[in-house]
Amino acid sequence: MNTIVLIEIGKILIPIIQIFGIYVIFFGHLSPGGGFAGGTIIGTSLILYRIIFGNKKAAKKLGFKRLMRLTCGSLIFYGVLKGYSFITGGAHIHAPQISLGSPGSILSGGYILPLNIAVGIVVAITIYFLFCLFYEGEI
Amino acid sequence: MNIFSIIMLIFLIGCSIAVSATKNLLGAVIVFMAYSLVMAILWQQLNAPDLAITEAAVGAGITTLLFVLALRRIRGEK
Repeated sequence: MNTIVLIEIGKILIPIIQIFGIYVIFFGHLSPGGGFAGGTIIGTSLILYRIIFGNKKAAKKLGFKRLMRLTCGSLIFYGVLKGYSFITGGAHIHAPQISLGSPGSILSGGYILPLNIAVGIVVAITIYFLFCLFYEGEI
Repeated sequence: MNIFSIIMLIFLIGCSIAVSATKNLLGAVIVFMAYSLVMAILWQQLNAPDLAITEAAVGAGITTLLFVLALRRIRGEK
């Protein structure tokens, strides 16, 4: 699809959707939302990019290798951070922890914010892959 | 439960009956999207805004998209 109306609207709309998704992820511990919902919204913007700009241009920015590396990296990050939290919290080891911060600000809630970011990245890329497999049969 | 929620519930029941009664597949998918959107509003009315966001993003967005793509595959269009 190469209509000029679609492309110009997409250029305006896609960043706004992505900013909203990032907002939902970053304020997941203060307001409704969280990693899964925000990741779904970002995944929708990636799908819109793929529909509007076509296969070749999407493959340049959202290549399979790069996305796979990002997904696996955030998955490993999640596992390590959550495992660290479980081990040091459950065994009463006085290891250094993330500071809790002041209530109400973004940097509060300890481990929840980085874990939400990792979950958001994984969900966004998974939904994009799911769409690509349905749409063309290949990523 | 206020009147707005009751109207939405009636609309929800009507949508769910219409999905199973419609012969046109694309129409059924679109009615299902409307069902999901009303469900999101109802979650918000029931004081579950977290679930409402997820329902609106997954139910009305991703699921409908995947249903339409599956319909395209069934009809054999490229």
